Amino acid sequence: MSLGHYALRRLLVGVLQVLVVACAVFLLTEALPGDAAVALAGDNPDPARIEQIRRVMRLDLPLAERFWDWLAGLFRMDLGVSLVSQRPVAAFLADGLAPTLVLATLTLLVLVPLAVLLGVVAAVREGGPLDRAVTTVSVALHAIPEFAMAIVLVAVFGVRLRWLPPTAVGVGGDLLRHPAVLVLPLVVLLARPICSISRLVRAGMIEALDSDYVRHARRLGLSTGRVRLRHALPNAVAAAVPQLAHTTDWLLGGVIVVEAVFVIPGLGTALVDAVAARDLPVVQGLAVFFAVTTVLVNLVADVVGFRLSPRTEVVR
Amino acid sequence: MRRWLRWGIGGVLTGVPLLLAVAGPWLVSGPGARSRAFVAGDGHPLGTDFVGRDVWQQVLLGGRTVLLVAMLATVLAYLVAVPWGIAAAVSRHRWVDELLMRPLDLVLALPSLLLLVLLATIAPSGSPTLVAIVALLNLPGITRIVRAAALEVGSRPAVEALRLQGEGWWRITVGYVARSIVRTLAADLGTRFTGALYLVASASFLGVGVPPDASDWAVMVDRNRPGLFVQPWAVLAPALLIVALSVGVNLLFDRALATRSGPGPRPGARPGARSGARTETGSGNRPGPRPEPQGAAP
Amino acid sequence: MTEPVVRVDDLVTEVGGRRLVDGLSLELRAGQVLALVGASGSGKTTTGLAVLGEAPAGATVSGRVVVDGVEVAPGRPPRPGAVAYVPQHPAAVLNPVRRVGGVLREVAERHLPGPSRSRRIRRTTVSALVTDAVRRARLPTGPELPRRYPHQLSGGQQQRVVLAQALVANPVVLVADEPTTGQDAVTRAEVVDELRALAAEGIAVLLLSHDLDVVRALAHHVIVLRAGRPVESGVAARVLSRPAHEYTRALVAAQPHVATVITDRAADTGASVGAESDDGAGNAERLRVDSLVAHHGSGRRRSAVLHEVDLTAAAGECVAIVGRSGSGKTTLARCVTGLHAATSGTVTVDGAVLAPSLRRRSRDDLAAVQYVFQDARGSFDHHRRVLDQISRTAVRLHGASPEEAADAAMATLRRVGLDEEHARRVPHGLSGGELQRAALARALLARPRVLLCDEITSGLDTLTQHGILDLLAALRAESAGTLVLISHDMGVVARLADHVVVLDAGRVVERGPAARVLAEPAHPVTRALLGVPEREPDELIAR
Repeated sequence: MSLGHYALRRLLVGVLQVLVVACAVFLLTEALPGDAAVALAGDNPDPARIEQIRRVMRLDLPLAERFWDWLAGLFRMDLGVSLVSQRPVAAFLADGLAPTLVLATLTLLVLVPLAVLLGVVAAVREGGPLDRAVTTVSVALHAIPEFAMAIVLVAVFGVRLRWLPPTAVGVGGDLLRHPAVLVLPLVVLLARPICSISRLVRAGMIEALDSDYVRHARRLGLSTGRVRLRHALPNAVAAAVPQLAHTTDWLLGGVIVVEAVFVIPGLGTALVDAVAARDLPVVQGLAVFFAVTTVLVNLVADVVGFRLSPRTEVVR
Repeated sequence: MRRWLRWGIGGVLTGVPLLLAVAGPWLVSGPGARSRAFVAGDGHPLGTDFVGRDVWQQVLLGGRTVLLVAMLATVLAYLVAVPWGIAAAVSRHRWVDELLMRPLDLVLALPSLLLLVLLATIAPSGSPTLVAIVALLNLPGITRIVRAAALEVGSRPAVEALRLQGEGWWRITVGYVARSIVRTLAADLGTRFTGALYLVASASFLGVGVPPDASDWAVMVDRNRPGLFVQPWAVLAPALLIVALSVGVNLLFDRALATRSGPGPRPGARPGARSGARTETGSGNRPGPRPEPQGAAP
Repeated sequence: MTEPVVRVDDLVTEVGGRRLVDGLSLELRAGQVLALVGASGSGKTTTGLAVLGEAPAGATVSGRVVVDGVEVAPGRPPRPGAVAYVPQHPAAVLNPVRRVGGVLREVAERHLPGPSRSRRIRRTTVSALVTDAVRRARLPTGPELPRRYPHQLSGGQQQRVVLAQALVANPVVLVADEPTTGQDAVTRAEVVDELRALAAEGIAVLLLSHDLDVVRALAHHVIVLRAGRPVESGVAARVLSRPAHEYTRALVAAQPHVATVITDRAADTGASVGAESDDGAGNAERLRVDSLVAHHGSGRRRSAVLHEVDLTAAAGECVAIVGRSGSGKTTLARCVTGLHAATSGTVTVDGAVLAPSLRRRSRDDLAAVQYVFQDARGSFDHHRRVLDQISRTAVRLHGASPEEAADAAMATLRRVGLDEEHARRVPHGLSGGELQRAALARALLARPRVLLCDEITSGLDTLTQHGILDLLAALRAESAGTLVLISHDMGVVARLADHVVVLDAGRVVERGPAARVLAEPAHPVTRALLGVPEREPDELIAR
């Protein structure tokens, strides 16, 4: 199977996945407890007012019809309008996307080279002091919940030492203008992925360096550097690609906690707010967006993985 | 000496929060008097919290739920995942396998915290809900590992030899396949538990599934944040306990694993013929390193 | 060309007090083929690695190894590329993520004849080197191959790619480790051809093999190794036809020329066939397979493996099903046992039609047909004692009580040459040969009317194989069960079979009495399996 064929097939499967997730999300959010109209009408609901909201939200229509309208809207890239503020859902997405993208891109830019480098160096000096340090620290850091680490860092560097701002309050969406604000969130975001990825690269590299094909490449007279770079490293990196995809996916949608601690108005915050306000169209729109990013990221990862490790002819 | 040190660090880091979590509630003599919010000292060793309760007392009370919910969720996930994964692996029909495994992919399609937030709003609030949700989020990962391991074991000639001996389905599936994958599952237990711990703590911090004034380390971290500048211990003490517990448990499991799979070949880890086609295309299980905890993103 | 290319003096390799190689000396000149012969574990590979300047982990090495005028020791390898090494499993030394062409060019870059000024000249030189090596390794020179990944190649092609990589570096010595193991006769003949051509080019070839047919066809000199010690050496023709040492004699007897076995057997089978026809039971039709069709996979990937295969076997008879790998012989056997459900066609034992799937067969039907797996180790549960596993046969298929079953199992184990000590262990405590005996006992305990043995000797070294075959011959003599033997090894077939059925691509292409088929093979596939040359008579095997 050629790379093009493989990518095309994966893309078709991906579109199907998005559709399935979209349906699941719609049904799940429709199952949210309480009548959204009642919730929106306020503390002392007036039946007439509830009726009015219901009509505006078209809650009086049957579920199937609303679902069909919503799905048709998706195809026109129209995600609907917020129930609370009447703003288009797309605007919520656009607002939240900027800070999320900034954080995700910066994290990945630091993460990939650093994790690969740490993994390779640790593997080449297997059992040495650096390897032991990297391994122990990564085992320790790996399990810490972000909020706990973030709070400890804020208490030390933000409150006690006053080196860095403790939160991004007042900065708004324009994070790049205030790089100091980004330091602590980046450190927290990097901590776990660096551990997992450098560990995978290290393990892959050790396995590759100990493999018969590397030994054979040396027998054929190839230099040490070349053997490491061209023969061992691709195998080591291939082992880490799925995890890197997982991390990217998480950075694009799952960093709710870090956004909450540092008060960054990203997509995660938008989702938590929308869920709390029972703002169904926003929740649905965000969930579909996350499903699309997940599918896209995994698609790219599979294609890269296919290129790096052509044996995996995985079709999902 | 060095060996003792390696076990020791993990042991101490796990032991202190574990002791506080388990024994703490018995040391509390009933609801203490409330004073002003965020007072440092003044008869309170760690000051007071956002509603004026004694922080030390809250620390004693707040570990049990986190620990219990994480443990129950892990146990529940295994209870469901083991039969599920084995059923998918030993099913004779491809469509049964697909039917069992595909829905789990849906759970994996979104980051777990995101799903947790969504699901928690639908279900009634409370610890049982949190147990169920965290178990559900851990389910796909464990089921995949169970299925992959059972598939490998199930494709060994030993299973066919048992069938030729006239052994029945139960004896083959439970007596041979299930028993042969125990080792693989045990090696994975540590990551699953720390993953559950991570999810439970993060969920409580976001206020999902727990009342806002609950005595819970993660909730304390969240609710006492406004007092960070005045009374940092109300935040730091529970945060540090969570950090210690996570790091300690991870270190201990890592040591245990390293000691067990250390010298000598592991029995049962023989290269054998695998039913390649199914293992590879089945649920996108790629050959490669052990998957990281699914519950805890990256 | 009088100075030897490889010279080994008194090589001793020791690991933890055990000597893997014990005082071996050899000389190898350009254009010559020297074969090291011995069972697995006799030190062949260790010697080959010593020539490469490598040693097993933790080994101490003494003695002198000189390759192409340079003294070689662990950590002091010969000039890069001087020694070409083709290991037993070529797939393991090919990088799975690198295309064939890329690696070939990379090696060629490293071994350019001299420093070159222009980049363009370098590139054309590299291309020329690669093309030359690919041609000498007998690989297709078109644009297809360089773009392939190793997993897209057949086992034979992988081996040739490894050879091509070595040839790019312009070696003086080739170490070929078991180059024909696991290959069918056609591929073996090609490998023999290939190595002979390289020797003719002036490369010294060190052949490590337990395959005496290949050694006969190729080697000028032979050294016979036993537990690391050379027991006999000399000119190949002399050592293999008139072995002086008893061990060499045992080796030669274990893998004789196919032709000699048939004539040997003609004498003693005459008596036994006569005895069987006396009581009349010998002619009763025991197993009958009618127009069996089987498929693998499902949906779009479904492919036919067997096309309308017929087969009959009389009681007490031994039928051999032979064919190249992938010919469908194992699937045929699995259809008979019911492990693989046939698409259509019937399997009949003693006149009763068996259900296609094992699931629908009664216990008596299960007991009637038993199967012994190629992978004996994989066919046992690692956690339970051997005796406990074997006795389950009697419990489930004959309704015996656990105590009776254990006694019966022990009796059967003794019959196959194992004792209480073996029976008490878990499978890990048994060697491959012992486990294969235990697997036989497990099947025999069912008192099968048809016993199918699927390549049961293929993973074992020559002498252990010999023991298992002796056992099968003895078992056959003492019971009236029908034996179905699946094999690609015509030596095994010649020893045991009365009838031979040759499968190719899922169809029966030839069948008949063993003596006739082996002596006068009619179909090209049979001839190929027997190693009878199609074009160059008297060249390939008998030299």
